[in-house]
Amino acid sequence: MAFDPVQFVTVGLNGLTQAALYFIVASGFTLIFGLMRTVNMAHGSLYLFGAYLGYSIGASVGKTGEGWVLAIVGAFGGMALVGFLMQRFLLGWMPGQDLRQALVTIGLSIIVADLLLMNYGGITYQFSQPDVISGSTAIPFAVGGKYSTFRLFLVVAAGTIGLLLWLLLNRTKLGMIIRAGIDDRDMLSALGVDVPRVFLLVFALGAGLAGLAGVMGGTALSISPGEDARYLLSSLVVVIVGGMGSLGGAAIGAMLVGLAEQYGLFYWPYYAPLVTFGIMAAVLALRPHGLLGRPA
Amino acid sequence: MRRLDRRWVAWAVLAVVLLVFPLSVSRFWSVTIGAHSLILGIIALSLIFLAGYGGMVSLAQTAIAGVASYAVALLTATKLPQQILAIPVAPDWPAYLAVPTALAAATGVGLLFGLIAVRSQGIYLMMLTVALGVGFFYLTEANYDYFGGHGGIPEVISPIGYTSQNPALFYYVCLASAAVLYLGVRYLVRTPFGLALQGIRDNPRRMRGLGYWVGLHRVVAFGIAGFIAGVGGVLNVWYNGSISPGTIDLTRIIELLIIAVVGGLAFPEGAFVGALTFTLVDSFASSVTIPLPLLEDISFRERFNTLIGLTFLLVVLFSPNGLIGIGQRLAGSWSRRRSGAGPSAERRTGRGPAPEAEPANPPLADPASER
Repeated sequence: MAFDPVQFVTVGLNGLTQAALYFIVASGFTLIFGLMRTVNMAHGSLYLFGAYLGYSIGASVGKTGEGWVLAIVGAFGGMALVGFLMQRFLLGWMPGQDLRQALVTIGLSIIVADLLLMNYGGITYQFSQPDVISGSTAIPFAVGGKYSTFRLFLVVAAGTIGLLLWLLLNRTKLGMIIRAGIDDRDMLSALGVDVPRVFLLVFALGAGLAGLAGVMGGTALSISPGEDARYLLSSLVVVIVGGMGSLGGAAIGAMLVGLAEQYGLFYWPYYAPLVTFGIMAAVLALRPHGLLGRPA
Repeated sequence: MRRLDRRWVAWAVLAVVLLVFPLSVSRFWSVTIGAHSLILGIIALSLIFLAGYGGMVSLAQTAIAGVASYAVALLTATKLPQQILAIPVAPDWPAYLAVPTALAAATGVGLLFGLIAVRSQGIYLMMLTVALGVGFFYLTEANYDYFGGHGGIPEVISPIGYTSQNPALFYYVCLASAAVLYLGVRYLVRTPFGLALQGIRDNPRRMRGLGYWVGLHRVVAFGIAGFIAGVGGVLNVWYNGSISPGTIDLTRIIELLIIAVVGGLAFPEGAFVGALTFTLVDSFASSVTIPLPLLEDISFRERFNTLIGLTFLLVVLFSPNGLIGIGQRLAGSWSRRRSGAGPSAERRTGRGPAPEAEPANPPLADPASER
């Protein structure tokens, strides 16, 4: 196959938009992990649950732009609530027992996947987004000179979410508390901060981001059973490569994984997963805590 | 001494039951329940060896078993699917060449995964091995050149023919493999290597200070576990008569973890207890229906995964040492009530695994490992 620069640009854009989606999912995952050392193996389930919930909300309003906005808000709020309940009634019981917490979330993910299958069946769902962000936008050098507007919107959304999270962590009182908690939970608690409450808040925020990403991903691609495993895996790889608990690491990791995946699929379809795992192995060999990670 | 004698009697009874069992029952019991439990138990044993004695909860064991399955399938199938372009003519190797090659491949991949994971610990290692395991699944599904893509490789026949022709013989092959591997693990953990591995599990820094090469022990443990999982993979491809990505997807990876945790992540016996429990629930849950007032009745034929997930959740929440842990607790309170002896005396007389083989801190019971 001759090298086609126009094709190359479009595949790159696909990689970039995939990376944007991965970043939104993984940012919640890394936030939870960074503060609580909880590996939330149900993160993919929250993604899928959020997507289905958003779909139900949108469908009840009608397939309109307003329905889509409500779906986003509903998925974020609904999953934030689920995350809150998870932390409050299950994971909060066993602080510090990271392996046991991971197993509990695995148990939850099995149940959630089964109940979602019962409720929504095996069919594929698609969202209809507002007109402003549907259709295509002219992009020079891309195939046909244009590219899906929604996928470009995804990059903007991921950038905005990243910026907001950065501001939250670095410019607010709560962010200061969270950063202190990442470094030394016991000391923070001794200073009179109600650490379990901060945990609840952060868990809800991270879970909400997964739900929001579910609607975004469902709009850019589609939602069907099995997506939970895919986004759990992508979150794991992104944070392993980028460094666990690091927001910047999640951004770099998502970018690497998204681009590697799309270019791999295009140029080397039978072996694409090897590209991603080659990157992961190489990063781990050189930096066991990921590119921007620090020893725990 | 009398306690010891009774343990030998119990083992002898168990051995006789396991040996006579397939002769008196239908193929369903000897193969679908018996052999299948033993196969799942072997693969779970590889996970428990790493988790219980090495402190490394590796979820890549399903993938490693899959490597052996694919190797046996590719080397022995008389006719490969058309999509497999990279191998135009089926090698059609005899089993005595194909099986050692497959086991070598599984051991090799085990060592490779060990090398990748050697610098990670605890929860990081689990995340990494999940990623490796699921990655191998995606590779087999995307790759048509060697793995046959989504359909995999059908019609893999064992050297003793289809399992339906020789159910008892297939069961005995599985039983013999399981027994050898189980005793092998029990022996290995008492060798200097096994003791060093347990030392590394409990305190890698101190072991490094004592002059042990921590990384090498970990990688070798991964290789050994790879071999064990490989045996399970070979038997599994014969049991199923085929191999496809569906055999090694995330659901199966988690199933294996459930088997190990429900049985008892710290005990080699737990692998087989968990596997038997899982196969029985898998086969019979479908006939159970729980009537619920107001709501629809729950039929576990449909909601099997919910049942499995709930069971798993309850075990993790209430009995971190699984069914073996529950058994030991019951046996402990029973014998204490009888003899009036304290828990320490009861421990020394040895119920369950011998004291020196018993993990000092089972992986689930320890809060915040090595930080």
